[in-house]
Amino acid sequence: MTPARKPFGVSWEGAIFLALLLYPLFPIFEQGLFAATGRSLGEQLPLVFIFALLAYGLNVVVGYTGLLHLGIAAFFAVGAYVAGILSTAAYAFGWPFPVVLTLSTLAAAVVGLLLGAPTLRLRGDYLALVTLGFGEVTKFTLKNLEGITGGSRGLSPINPPTNDAFWTDDYRPFYYLTLGILIAAAVLLRNLERSRLGRAWIALREDELAANCMGLNPSKLKLAAFALGAGLAGMAGALYATRLTSTADPNAYDFNRSIFMVCCLIVGGLGSRLGALLGVVLLVGFDNILTPVIDSKIQEWFPNAGGRICLSFTGWRLAVFGIALILMMRFRPEGLFPSNRVKHELHPDEVVGDPIDPITMARTTGEVEQLDGRKGGDA
Amino acid sequence: MRFGGITAVSDLSFDVQQGQIFSVIGPNGAGKTTVFNVITGLYQPTTGKVHFGGDDRAKKLTPMVMLGCLLTGLVVAALAWLISTNPEKFWTASVRDPYPKKEDGFDVGKSFTAAGKYLTETDGLGTKMLYWTAGGLVLGTLGAFVVWSQSRRTPDGIAAGRVARTFQNIRLFQNMTVLENVLVGMDRTMSRNVFAMALRLPGLRREEVTAEKTAIELLKFVGLTGKSGQLAKNLPYGDQRRLEIARAIASDPLLLLLDEPAAGMNESETNALTALIRRIRDRGITVVLIEHHMDLVMQISDRVAVLDYGVKIAEGPPEQVKRDPKVIEAYLGKDEESH
Repeated sequence: MTPARKPFGVSWEGAIFLALLLYPLFPIFEQGLFAATGRSLGEQLPLVFIFALLAYGLNVVVGYTGLLHLGIAAFFAVGAYVAGILSTAAYAFGWPFPVVLTLSTLAAAVVGLLLGAPTLRLRGDYLALVTLGFGEVTKFTLKNLEGITGGSRGLSPINPPTNDAFWTDDYRPFYYLTLGILIAAAVLLRNLERSRLGRAWIALREDELAANCMGLNPSKLKLAAFALGAGLAGMAGALYATRLTSTADPNAYDFNRSIFMVCCLIVGGLGSRLGALLGVVLLVGFDNILTPVIDSKIQEWFPNAGGRICLSFTGWRLAVFGIALILMMRFRPEGLFPSNRVKHELHPDEVVGDPIDPITMARTTGEVEQLDGRKGGDA
Repeated sequence: MRFGGITAVSDLSFDVQQGQIFSVIGPNGAGKTTVFNVITGLYQPTTGKVHFGGDDRAKKLTPMVMLGCLLTGLVVAALAWLISTNPEKFWTASVRDPYPKKEDGFDVGKSFTAAGKYLTETDGLGTKMLYWTAGGLVLGTLGAFVVWSQSRRTPDGIAAGRVARTFQNIRLFQNMTVLENVLVGMDRTMSRNVFAMALRLPGLRREEVTAEKTAIELLKFVGLTGKSGQLAKNLPYGDQRRLEIARAIASDPLLLLLDEPAAGMNESETNALTALIRRIRDRGITVVLIEHHMDLVMQISDRVAVLDYGVKIAEGPPEQVKRDPKVIEAYLGKDEESH
């Protein structure tokens, strides 16, 4: 089985990013889709990019390092609320967008460090419980600190990156802003995956005790993963609040959000960037883009059925979602686009001898194959 | 070393000379692996010490450590202080109220003055803040110190002190390639600059290429040429043992602990292993070996120690140990019992 990774010499990930970069340049797609569905895809995609960024953050903790994190929404909330406070019209700050974005990222990372430092010695289920609890605590704190966060009303309005029509008239500026940040994050994570730190994270996931005896410090490595994941989530949160021009109410950052992100990773494939991206595209796409379209189509085809619940798709979307997850777990537990590593783990018989991604520079340049005498992987 | 009421290893002491091959043998359950686990910091000895190069390899109480504990204490104190101020009111007084007109923009000085006013003029807040802050400082500092003092002999600290080991039941990073396994072993010797890693700066690329070359050399050294791209778990059993040794050597140890490296190997594999251990010794690495395979032990060891029920019953050159009546008794049983 040859890994179908490189059509035309580009990885799938690169191809997808390229397509997304090109999409707004040809308004014909946008117009065609708008004519067919009555909704603008370009308006919806930035939200997908934002959740993809959040999924990348979660993937660092759950996918690479193997810690079950059920409270990523808390860091998403920290980012959103810091951005909200610093740029809403209700406060006097009104700081420039780059500063706000940086500060909310850092704030979330610091909160990640503060939570991680005392708790990351816990193992497995216990850590999952701590993160779950932290998520709920954050939600209720945001609800109750009404004087600061606006309680269940949230903070609004949040200014767009700059106060002119540039950001509001056209979907494209924000589209490119979020896509640019997402691509930058993908490049950064790819580099980390191929470096000492990425290897150490994966080693920790594979066998913590052996890694420890090889001189790796599990606490520090986990803390680094936790802080990076929290930082990315915080950045996503800031973009989310800017996008909605409101922090929304604290319920937008509850356990459902966290578990939804974990689902995205599982559907896409744990530990793989491509999987995280496509998992989000599928699930968020289904939830935010496809469902309303189907609903409006139903309205269109059965003009008199609007009052009857059975013909509204929105009510059924969670059921579809659940069935899809069950089928997924039964037939493809490694996710739709798994990292080759995980594929090996779950289907050892099918892919024995299939070379896994070369993860380092020298391997891709062929230098090591030369040194090694034979090409790696042909057993 | 005691586990609950059971004394696993007691009154054990032996010295290993640099550059030697030292073997620890004994019947099953004699406590050999426990000894390794104590040496590598997986277990804390209940009593007694392990010295390596004249040092017990525990982390020292340096001023930096104390500063770190104090810093942790300060962070906790800051959090406690923040909670004690009644953050919502504090925030309203210092960030909301001074700005009736939002268009004026944020002014640090103005907020500071307002914050100071709130903190000093609220009834009873001064004492509350004092108690909370002091409590946070003490709790945080002590907590950090307790956590630190409980982890003075950690496996990663011992590994940094140039002691490496293999495991009785192979513990490779199964889903990583052979090359990656060795690279993880070299982790300690590589650059720590996270920004260089994230941006993949040229210096880091060079380091990676050099590291991979070294890793390939090491794989050649243990006899795993041409297998660097395979997943560790797809290797045959004997090769997995070799890879574990390569990974251990990769961390550039002075002392290498091998836990039953010949377990499950056939005769030719064992012979190759014997040669490999000799070559490791010739690199200047001191080897301590746990082994059941007597031929191997007697061939290569400079000295042998025999454990039985956690107690050392003999130590000396192989020839002497082989003839020791206590050793024969431990392995074959007493005459009366065998009848």
